[in-house]
Amino acid sequence: MTDRHTPVWADDPGLRGAPHDPSYGPGEGQGRRVQWPGAQSQDQSWSYEQQQYVHQAHPAAQQGEVTDTGSWRFDGHTSSYTDQLTYDTFAPYDPYATYTATEPAPAPAPVSPEPEPERPGYVLPPVQESSWAVDTGRSRLLGRLVLLCVLLIQAGLSLRLRGTAFEDEALYVLAGHYEIGNILHGTPVPGDFEGYFSGYPKLYPVLAAMVDSVAGLAGVRVVSLVFMLGATSLLYGMTRRMFDVRAAIGAAALFSVIQSTVFLGNFATFDAAAIFLLALSAWIVVRTGRAPIVAVVLAAPPAVLAFATKYAAGLYLPTLVVLAVLTAYRHRGVRALARGVLFGGAMGALLGAGYLFAGSLGGISQTTTDRAKGADTAAQLLQHSAQWGGLMFLTAVGGSLAYAIRPHMGEMPWLEQVGPGRFRRIALGVLLTGTALLAPAYQIHLHTEVSLFKHVGFGLLFAGPMAGLGISRLVGPHFRHPQLGIMLYVLTLVFGMVQSQQNYSFPDSREMTAVLRPMVDRKGTYLAEEHEVPAYYLRDVTGYAQWQGTFGMDYTDKKGKRYSGPEAYAAAVKDAKFDVIVLRGTVTPDVDTAVTNALRGNPHYRLAAVTRFTTSKGDGAYRIWVKR
Amino acid sequence: MTHPHRTARALRPVRLLAATLLASALLAGCTTFSEKGRDEYERAQGEQPGAHRSPGETSAPTKPEPPYDVRPLLRPAEKYLGVAADGAPAKMTAVADFAKRGGKKPNLIEFYSAWGDQYETRMVQNAWDYGALAFIAWEPFDASLKDIASGKEDDYIRSYAQSVKELNLPVAISFGHEMNGFWYPWGTKKATAAQFTAAYKHIHDLFDDEGATQVIWVWSPNVVNPMPRVKLRPYWPGDDYVDWVGVIGYYAATGPSTYKTLYGPTMTQVRAFTKKPFIIAETAAQAGERKPADIKDLFEGTAKRKDVVGLVWFDFDKETDWRINSGPLSQQAFREEAAAPSFGFDVTKR
Repeated sequence: MTDRHTPVWADDPGLRGAPHDPSYGPGEGQGRRVQWPGAQSQDQSWSYEQQQYVHQAHPAAQQGEVTDTGSWRFDGHTSSYTDQLTYDTFAPYDPYATYTATEPAPAPAPVSPEPEPERPGYVLPPVQESSWAVDTGRSRLLGRLVLLCVLLIQAGLSLRLRGTAFEDEALYVLAGHYEIGNILHGTPVPGDFEGYFSGYPKLYPVLAAMVDSVAGLAGVRVVSLVFMLGATSLLYGMTRRMFDVRAAIGAAALFSVIQSTVFLGNFATFDAAAIFLLALSAWIVVRTGRAPIVAVVLAAPPAVLAFATKYAAGLYLPTLVVLAVLTAYRHRGVRALARGVLFGGAMGALLGAGYLFAGSLGGISQTTTDRAKGADTAAQLLQHSAQWGGLMFLTAVGGSLAYAIRPHMGEMPWLEQVGPGRFRRIALGVLLTGTALLAPAYQIHLHTEVSLFKHVGFGLLFAGPMAGLGISRLVGPHFRHPQLGIMLYVLTLVFGMVQSQQNYSFPDSREMTAVLRPMVDRKGTYLAEEHEVPAYYLRDVTGYAQWQGTFGMDYTDKKGKRYSGPEAYAAAVKDAKFDVIVLRGTVTPDVDTAVTNALRGNPHYRLAAVTRFTTSKGDGAYRIWVKR
Repeated sequence: MTHPHRTARALRPVRLLAATLLASALLAGCTTFSEKGRDEYERAQGEQPGAHRSPGETSAPTKPEPPYDVRPLLRPAEKYLGVAADGAPAKMTAVADFAKRGGKKPNLIEFYSAWGDQYETRMVQNAWDYGALAFIAWEPFDASLKDIASGKEDDYIRSYAQSVKELNLPVAISFGHEMNGFWYPWGTKKATAAQFTAAYKHIHDLFDDEGATQVIWVWSPNVVNPMPRVKLRPYWPGDDYVDWVGVIGYYAATGPSTYKTLYGPTMTQVRAFTKKPFIIAETAAQAGERKPADIKDLFEGTAKRKDVVGLVWFDFDKETDWRINSGPLSQQAFREEAAAPSFGFDVTKR
């Protein structure tokens, strides 16, 4: 904190006695009584400009009197100047004042080079600047209040989305109920969940099922909202630690309104939990940047947990490791590297332990590393990624560039600015901003757009600090262009709001399950497209194993002939193997066509109901057939 | 204390950044706020794209009501006791009169609906309130079977189906009854069997498409006796299109006068291609000395066959007096036969 103050006439001996006290001339400030010409280079340039301005205003002064102080001299006609500063300010425009130039300063005596200062035992971290002052308790409090508003807006945006359970939500929550039974009583789970889930089925699904038993699906979704609010808060904390309060507010504000955040805040899948754990790990990495390097090990459990919760989060573990190297503020060179190695080693050890505990998981390859290749083109994926996260990504790019050019905005030029070196700044920008490209790049490699709109959010969490810095630089020093920052936030908000609403659009299954409820029991076999949804809503009257989905089936008919794929469904329907058939018509078109054809002229089934729904992709209907 | 020189330099990247962000926002906006994007947004909110609701109108989501499950009505353990009476079920006086004279409330009320008429929701509701299932004989007088099959009448059929779905009460519909006879415009003289099945299936498909699953589909040929050369099989739309085979045959003064001779040949022919249950979709006995015996024969024949779900008495004085009260003995016979517990049940309790 600076103790600058402007001296008043009364307590200034120089104005009463001596002609001038040089210490109050322009160029002096903040209580550092340094003789002009100052030894500090910053002060020198500052005063120089001032002096220059005065000279330009009164060229005649250059041939005026020469005094030992060099200033404006008051000739006695006016007496309304209360102090020297006022005097110096208005004298150039006062016809009664005359300028006195200084004698040229004596050439500085050759001084012996100062002895090399001893390496201090502890280097203070760079002081964060915020407006005219360094970040104080007050600005932190203000920042937290703004963060609270940001979180409220985020919660509002998420909670305005409504809908019945999506296929994945239904599956995970339902699976969680069976996993709880498996853990508590050892009852077998009805399906190879570990083989095709995109996260470990004994983690998030168990939590989701526990909440579901108490508060239903809405409760599970609220847990996701808490995770996402937590992620935003951790991003705030992380960015404040790395940069300053303003960047932190910008990061939290942008991240809180992009469509993936809004969407996942009301979506009961692995994603929200994984994002929260990644954010927690990143926050610990940054938070322990000044602590002894061992402290970084604390960040390993949440990182590994994030990976176990959703295998796709593993894509971001390398980012965390590099981040651990780059944020080792106190340590340079080898020790910083050691921090990264330590962190990576800790994660590796935990992953190894997890592997021993859980065994090989087929789900990792099936859902993440070796996912079935799709037919989506790179151009389409890029276009959609840009649409979903482009604005925030570009802000992060801008922030990275600005950061690479200058570590600070120079709002407090009198402060000696000790920021990270240029290499570290560039590396940080490239790392964090580049991480946002991981998910789109990986999915372009897989040619599939499945869940990409959710996955862009993972990368943008890491790009968040740079985006926050970008928005803070856009606003400029001393809040010069607040309108730009507000515009950017509002634009992002509008896009996030509209896009999340477009994506958060699942078929309304209420009517369908209401129709099915009296038709099902504990004995029947049911074929349903997206069978997880009715299986979840009717779990009190049916078991999961009674439901057959349309993603694949083998069937052997009465004559012993084996079928697979759509033919298997057609044969099973012709043999009236299912008691109820529910088709939606868009998820698995091949099987739908096969089943519909098998129902034509089929004496066993009767159409029981058609329940319509509207999603953002168009109108559709569940068609429900029952045995006559 | 400003630094004019420095400000100008600092502004340039800011402007550049702002311009880039604005451009990308516009670009993204082109897709998110395009017409397609707007449609998606409106649909996601459960609105029809482009439909601007007036402020007073609300989209109050109605509580989903499952469609009536007609399956318990298809093969009930007891038999339907049906009636087609003058003015019913718009006015229930004739039905009440029939119930009084017959000694039992009918649980199926048949009436006729011309092509182009809207679905008579009030009449169906009336019948249901009385405790009877409505049975509509849908007569395509004003449209050819060909036109119906080709889709020219789709709008009408769809609106009819929507009304059926909306009312959500079970209803039996027989389209183009007595199609194997020559006397109707949809009969053998003016249309072919292929046209009949195409039209029948087309109507059924449209009902399915609209989700009007409350319909019990009745395929209703006349007994084959008057035109033995017209085979029924070509007129059969298929097992998945029909719930009941509604045989129409009267005990006339001349012609077959026993259950076996009147309905037997038709039923035998039908059994060759389907196992769907029968209903005697229209019947009565001509006034005369034999009438009480005919009534007895009808009830007993129906009771004996497990695959006949009931009968519908044509209680009109049209051409001849078909009513049960044409004579005291007839009425007496009807009362006795209808009193059997196997006839009549409350359709609303199934």
